[in-house]
Amino acid sequence: MTALPLDSPELSVKYFVEDSSAVRVEELIPVFHRWIRESVLEDELLIDVANYAHVPKGPGVMLICDLGQYGLDLRHGRPGLRYRRRRVAHASPQDRLAETFRSAIRAGSLLADEPALEGRYRFRTDEVELVIYDRLRAPSALGTLEAVSPLLGSFVTQLYEDPAVSLELTSRSNEPFAVRITTQEAPPLRTLLSRL
Amino acid sequence: METILKRTRTPQTWKERLDGRLPEELEREIDIFETQVELRRRGEMDERLFAETRLRRGVYGQRYDNGHRYDGLKTRQLAYPDVATKGTDTVWDAPGMVRIKIPYGKITTAQLELLAELAEDYSDGIAHVTTRQDIQLHFVHIDDTPNLMRRLASLGITTREACGNSVRNVTACPLAGVCQTEAFDVSPYADALKTFLLGHPDVQDFGRKFKVAFSGCAEEACGLTNMHDLGLIARTRISESGGVQRGFEFYVGGGLGAVPHQAKLLDPFVTEEALLPLSQAVSRVFARLGEKDNRGRARIKFLVAKLGMEEFRELVEAERATLPDDPRWTAYLGELERDVEAPLREPVPLATSEEDLSKSFHAWRGTNARRQRQAGYHTATVNLPLGDITSDQLRLLAGIAREFVGDHIRLTVEQNILLRWISESDLPALHRALTGADLGAPGAETIGDITACPGTDTCKLGIASSRGLAAELRKEFVQLDGAVDESVKSLRIKASGCFNSCGQHHVADLGFYGISRKKDGRLVPHFQVVLGGKWSDNAGSFGMATLAIPAKRIPEVVRRVTDLYVSERENGETFQAFISRFGKAEIKKFLQDLAPIPSYDEDPSFYSDWGDPREYTMEDYGEGECAGEIVPLVEFGLQSGEREVFEAQLHLDAGSADLASRLAYKAMLTAAQALVKTELLDITEDPGDIVGEFRSRFHDTGRFHDRYAGAKFAAYLFRAHEEEDGDGSELPQQLARSRVEEAQLFIEAAYRCYERMGTEVTV
Repeated sequence: MTALPLDSPELSVKYFVEDSSAVRVEELIPVFHRWIRESVLEDELLIDVANYAHVPKGPGVMLICDLGQYGLDLRHGRPGLRYRRRRVAHASPQDRLAETFRSAIRAGSLLADEPALEGRYRFRTDEVELVIYDRLRAPSALGTLEAVSPLLGSFVTQLYEDPAVSLELTSRSNEPFAVRITTQEAPPLRTLLSRL
Repeated sequence: METILKRTRTPQTWKERLDGRLPEELEREIDIFETQVELRRRGEMDERLFAETRLRRGVYGQRYDNGHRYDGLKTRQLAYPDVATKGTDTVWDAPGMVRIKIPYGKITTAQLELLAELAEDYSDGIAHVTTRQDIQLHFVHIDDTPNLMRRLASLGITTREACGNSVRNVTACPLAGVCQTEAFDVSPYADALKTFLLGHPDVQDFGRKFKVAFSGCAEEACGLTNMHDLGLIARTRISESGGVQRGFEFYVGGGLGAVPHQAKLLDPFVTEEALLPLSQAVSRVFARLGEKDNRGRARIKFLVAKLGMEEFRELVEAERATLPDDPRWTAYLGELERDVEAPLREPVPLATSEEDLSKSFHAWRGTNARRQRQAGYHTATVNLPLGDITSDQLRLLAGIAREFVGDHIRLTVEQNILLRWISESDLPALHRALTGADLGAPGAETIGDITACPGTDTCKLGIASSRGLAAELRKEFVQLDGAVDESVKSLRIKASGCFNSCGQHHVADLGFYGISRKKDGRLVPHFQVVLGGKWSDNAGSFGMATLAIPAKRIPEVVRRVTDLYVSERENGETFQAFISRFGKAEIKKFLQDLAPIPSYDEDPSFYSDWGDPREYTMEDYGEGECAGEIVPLVEFGLQSGEREVFEAQLHLDAGSADLASRLAYKAMLTAAQALVKTELLDITEDPGDIVGEFRSRFHDTGRFHDRYAGAKFAAYLFRAHEEEDGDGSELPQQLARSRVEEAQLFIEAAYRCYERMGTEVTV
């Protein structure tokens, strides 16, 4: 049986910050350390903070977990909260999507409300990037987009309660498969979280 | 129809995708490692043995992998759901590091692109260039490592012996072949020695790691041969026939670590024909006589110091005389020109007038570009912050290299990447392209281009944040935008997280290594200040440890010492001469006021490290894996036999009776050979020899006999040997099953024999 792209456990979801000029990535370091100390993400085993603030357009500052990675990601010069799910093989593709979106949205909400960040980190919700890090099952190609579209489109439509969801392949052929999801609706993160 | 289906089916795994596309030996090695991973996960392989096995495959531990972490208030357990371990006190699921050997730093565009993929797929999107021309990926799960290795092997890269008590990456001057001062290009020699020693039986029983470096000349820094276990400097002389003869100044016993040693000259001129056999002889002496119990004194530098060079040389010469001839010693000499680099483009002079070139280009060219020995060509250094590069940048760099230089790329020990064979006229366009990839920063190989080991970021042995300090210092120099006095511009700053010197602080003008001090019951991160090390002359001399300064005041130390040098240096005085003239006492006095630690109430920032807001602690300090595990060679052999029985069982279950019985026989041979090696290191791979030696040494003497079963288990091997030697007819399934079971019993008997041998075993 041929594997489908969304069979891969290696997914990431990124919500972009509204105002890039407000981002001072290193200020995430103490925030993530506090999250570890206070077990803010109660269902995650939080391990460490990795600081790549010195690398232009890199992964920024990351919170390393047993099953995933959170990060204020600077890739392509567009800062955003990325959550990458790893090493979960047994859930259904639908469940994995829901879990990945839920983790990203929850972390985005927490950052938006983080007192130390003074409300400077707001995330737009009408644009999301989904990446599949699996070159075997999900090569960066239109065929992969076609394969993921039914499930992904339906998932996002349901989550956003928005029939006008658009999916666009944004990665080059030698990059991990990335799709830009745009919606007409832009519900607040809290609303999205309540639907998951 | 079936063929079409086969062709269109998407491979489900990397093993399937790359089937038949890997070098056979690498493919087999990785399959073996994957089996060992599985055996360990099932608890069927000894923890210590597995640890050393994975280290020798480049799979390293990382900070917090013991399942504990200090959170700023207290140390708490990281509650991994799976309690399996991959070494003593090392949790299976804890993220680890993979070290990828890039011999003498030579890397191709395709390999850069592959590393980009691997960093994305298995790590955190960052590839880290080390101080020994390796690439490290962090936060990798051990389950991913076999596939990671397969993908590397598809482009000829191995992680084998990247860690553990083995011959580490063979390094060389990144300018080799294009350097103005070299005697000749050392690249093919580095390649030959790397190939010869990789997996060689004579380098499998070291008490500690063994590092080799090549340099094309004595004067420059690039090869750092003086700080290596084996350092080789290219030399030529006129032979008796009047021709130019190539050879090497041959040094041994150098090393940094807590106790740095300058390498000592073993032979002023070792001919190219003698290079490999002499290196082999050195390896054998080290394996035989090097310390195995006291890990702190197990590097070859201690053996050389203990014996003295004269005795060590005699031992090596005697060992050399006993070595059986090996055609590989000289076979490569006929292919020295095979990999000679051909430039991608013709050399064209720069046509643009100097005035029309941008200021940023001038700054970049001044520090990052260097004329090659070949007229019209330059090298250019891509200056990486802390040795880090993103996957996107790796891909962009590969594209840029393809356009301007092709595959002429090297990693450097200063954690940068060097592009070679750039036509002078291309320099402005290359700089624009690099700038577009955020890789066009000036300041390579200057005071702002700071080297740092991983330190407390990821290393279990880290005491202070060398990367945090380096990032802070780098930020300051970037802000200065090149506006530093010419006299200090070429100084080097290097930081290590502990005394083990992975950041090479001993050979920096301004070196720092992490330590801790206590004030009012609280720990404070500090760095020991080491001044006046010599980077040039292949790491010509070590710096002077002066005093411990709180980590947060190190930037002030740098400002103060460099300002002093600018204002007080005498005509043309080098930094080393300046520090030497001032002397330790004066320097100490000069910096002493920076040493006192303010109280916590006065300034709590002193009580946390650079880039880490947690209150500082040593509680995360763990047991390092740099020293590897001391596992006698015989245990590796017995484990290999055990693994082969396991694989035989899998073949049996899959209905491949013939394969299963052959592998079962091979397993018995492997275990028998392991025992024989305890007495005869040079036992061949020939089954007849192994069985013959095993019979005379272990069977006929009764040493292998079981207390109750007598010679029964040895007989399994003898019978299998006879049958395998027979008419070649296949064994039926039932007999194959018996053969596998007998092999299992033989292996267990071999283990018991080994246990009985107890303290007799020296190998």
